[in-house]
Amino acid sequence: MADTRAIPTRDTAMPEAADKPFDPWPAVIFIALVCLAVLFLTPTVGVLLSSVKTTREIALGELWSIPSALYLGNFTEVLNNPAVHRYLVNTLLVTAPATIASIVLGVLAGYVFAKLPFRGSNLLFLVIVSGMFFPPQVILIPLFRLFNAVGLIDTLWPIILVHTALGIPICTLLMRNFFATVPTALREAAIIEGANEWQVLTKVALPISLPALAVLATLQFTWIWNDFLWPLIFTQSDEKRTIMLGLVNMKGQYSVAWGVQGALSLIASLPTLIVFLFFQRYFIKGMTMGAVKG
Amino acid sequence: MERQTRFWQVALLALPLTVFAVLVIWPLASSFYYSFTNWNGFSADYDFVGLANFTKIYTDDLFRNAILNTIIWMVAAILLPTLLGLGLALLIDSRIPGGAMFKSIFYLPICLSAIVVGQIWVWIYQPDWGLLNTVIAAIRGDDMNFAWLAKPDTALGSVIVAWSWQQTGLSMVIYLAGLTAISEDLLEVCEMDGASTWQRLRLVVIPLLTPATVVVVALSVINSLKGFDILFIMTGGGPFNSSDTLAMHMYNESFKKYLMGYGSAISVVLFLIALTIIGIYFRQLRRVDEIYG
Repeated sequence: MADTRAIPTRDTAMPEAADKPFDPWPAVIFIALVCLAVLFLTPTVGVLLSSVKTTREIALGELWSIPSALYLGNFTEVLNNPAVHRYLVNTLLVTAPATIASIVLGVLAGYVFAKLPFRGSNLLFLVIVSGMFFPPQVILIPLFRLFNAVGLIDTLWPIILVHTALGIPICTLLMRNFFATVPTALREAAIIEGANEWQVLTKVALPISLPALAVLATLQFTWIWNDFLWPLIFTQSDEKRTIMLGLVNMKGQYSVAWGVQGALSLIASLPTLIVFLFFQRYFIKGMTMGAVKG
Repeated sequence: MERQTRFWQVALLALPLTVFAVLVIWPLASSFYYSFTNWNGFSADYDFVGLANFTKIYTDDLFRNAILNTIIWMVAAILLPTLLGLGLALLIDSRIPGGAMFKSIFYLPICLSAIVVGQIWVWIYQPDWGLLNTVIAAIRGDDMNFAWLAKPDTALGSVIVAWSWQQTGLSMVIYLAGLTAISEDLLEVCEMDGASTWQRLRLVVIPLLTPATVVVVALSVINSLKGFDILFIMTGGGPFNSSDTLAMHMYNESFKKYLMGYGSAISVVLFLIALTIIGIYFRQLRRVDEIYG
């Protein structure tokens, strides 16, 4: 596989290739990857196919064939369902504030840990970051009791608050690591000019942190949008359900309407798919940055 | 100056620390507290029952079953995505055309929710028209109506496959990031010294990928401990508790049977397991840092 690597340029490669025996490896690897890619795409394609087929077709075993005609009835069914609108609005009402709030808190904490360290700040940082690793089930019952006591069960508030809190570890980690790369001289120059820390943070550090903010926005948005556990615990009525909960709930309503379920899954995944397609670079960077630097 | 710095440290940390303390640290401590009570989730009062919840763990067959399933789930959830991710990363890194496209394809499932992934795979395993049975039937030339998710022998394994499908992309990108750090000169030297591809892989590339492996394994462990949604939608822990993991068991005891005290005890065990793993992870991370700088 490094045979292609060892050849520096095309010009020198050509004469060499003439006396070397034909190297089958790149072709074999390419074909293997194509096969694996098809295998990996199959489940996703299945949902796509189901969403444009009638229940009858699917029940007759036609789900996995290429459709002869596009049937859009499943999408009209889903998009005309007022419950789906409610689920989507609820999810947005949770995801947007929680994403923003967790990033703001991460920026504040990350700045202190990177630029204003104090005795024990490293330990504190470690405690916060380790919050990233714990299964959420560990804090489920006390949080349920807390929000029950203050009468916030079956509202969107507990979901927003908990996601904000659970986002603090990753946001603090990434922002601290990013702020650490901002030259200290830049901060000192601003301080000498008479700026305070707040002005340094908002006018100097933040404007050059846009890539890190983009990474966090894509990560947090995807995680919170896709979450299932917290809405499951904190909401009871259909009025407050988020889309992932709605998806599970509607399995009953459309129990054999497979096509409708497919269309619903697709619509529920659309926002994160769009984020993925446009911000893939940031997304992958965030996953590896958060992980490798952990 | 000194006093000003102190002011800003407090001012900037106040909000994040308060939120984190109230919604993460305090609940964590409370979990320990409730694990010594018999709170039912509704009533205002409850009694202290001492270690009763923990002794119950010892006699609870379902708990033992859940621990066993958690171990199977975790071992498989570590091995499959790690090995698959490593394999894919090595193939993609070999400079074949379309590398970026392959990367996106294998990474795509990560942005889908566990609920949607579960839904997709429920259809693949569907007994009458699911893809798996359709393919097997076509190969055997015979009817195939096996209910993969409804049989105790295959339920957990079937969910593990779906989980691996989603997680492989994550391992792959971390390995790809690790591979870019390996110097090309080194590989060229190996080749000039007559090392075969296999030797180069086994003796140079994979050892140099150790830091990436530590991260991949740690992430797999952590993610698999959290794995709840996909089991919830695909099997609900069934049939006959054959795919019941600790997280699932904890949810059922607490929110189905309303044994919140006992549920807290299970979550304390879950916490201690996570703590142990994180401890090992951080120690390994330091070792890796020492060796590889």
